Amino acid sequence: MTGSSTSSRKVLSKIASNRLQKELVEWQVNPPSGFVHNVTDNLQRWVIEVYGAQGTIYANEKYQLQVDFPEHYPMEAPQVIFLQPAPLHPHIYSNGHICLDILYDSWSPAMTVSSVCMSIVSMLSSATVKERPEDNDRYVKNCKKSPKETRWWFHDDKV
Amino acid sequence: MLSSSLLVFFLNRLPMKYWWTEKTEWHAVASWTWDAHDETCGICRMAFDGCCPDCKLPGDDCPLIWGACNHAFHLHCILKWVNSQTPQAHCPMCRRDWQFKE
Repeated sequence: MTGSSTSSRKVLSKIASNRLQKELVEWQVNPPSGFVHNVTDNLQRWVIEVYGAQGTIYANEKYQLQVDFPEHYPMEAPQVIFLQPAPLHPHIYSNGHICLDILYDSWSPAMTVSSVCMSIVSMLSSATVKERPEDNDRYVKNCKKSPKETRWWFHDDKV
Repeated sequence: MLSSSLLVFFLNRLPMKYWWTEKTEWHAVASWTWDAHDETCGICRMAFDGCCPDCKLPGDDCPLIWGACNHAFHLHCILKWVNSQTPQAHCPMCRRDWQFKE
């Protein structure tokens, strides 16, 4: 699945491409630990490898995040999903959608790809069991292509 | 104050031979900087002594603005954020309700 919403395919605004270029440079100088960004000439879609942190239930596992930037980034959150196979986690659906408030209602334009990656690795690291969300099948069957169109209900800040 | 600082900004960018023909020493007329805690705007990540990506020249046209929480941004950047949030925008840095500092 590509998981790109229609809005994320519009060409980046000046402020968006300018900021993404800065983020790219910053990433190359100081990449977040446990992440590898395979840089392409597509500034609007980043594919990032995620390595499970040592000492967690995802140690020695590798996953891929796909980050799509909307035209008005950073006023709008990027769309972040796991490519297949998505890690087994109580907040990650089998289609790769991630239930994490900062990607939706709690987004702030001061956040960066790097800070989003930290939140995701922290979410992975605090899990104690590998399982899908309770409503996985129902959600995956009914959801829109982009998780940004889901009306999320955040109820658990422990994992 | 800002228009004179803009003049200094341009003067500083002129090659010296155009405004001093014989002197070799350099006399600063004035300099200015924004009194902000961070050096870059948390939204566009551009330096505060420059301007936001939608403007060409620093100074009058692209001022900084402070929130009641004391976080500073380019006016243009924070307006884009505030106008995209309904009903109430939060400060991008501290998440408090955004109010312009009086």
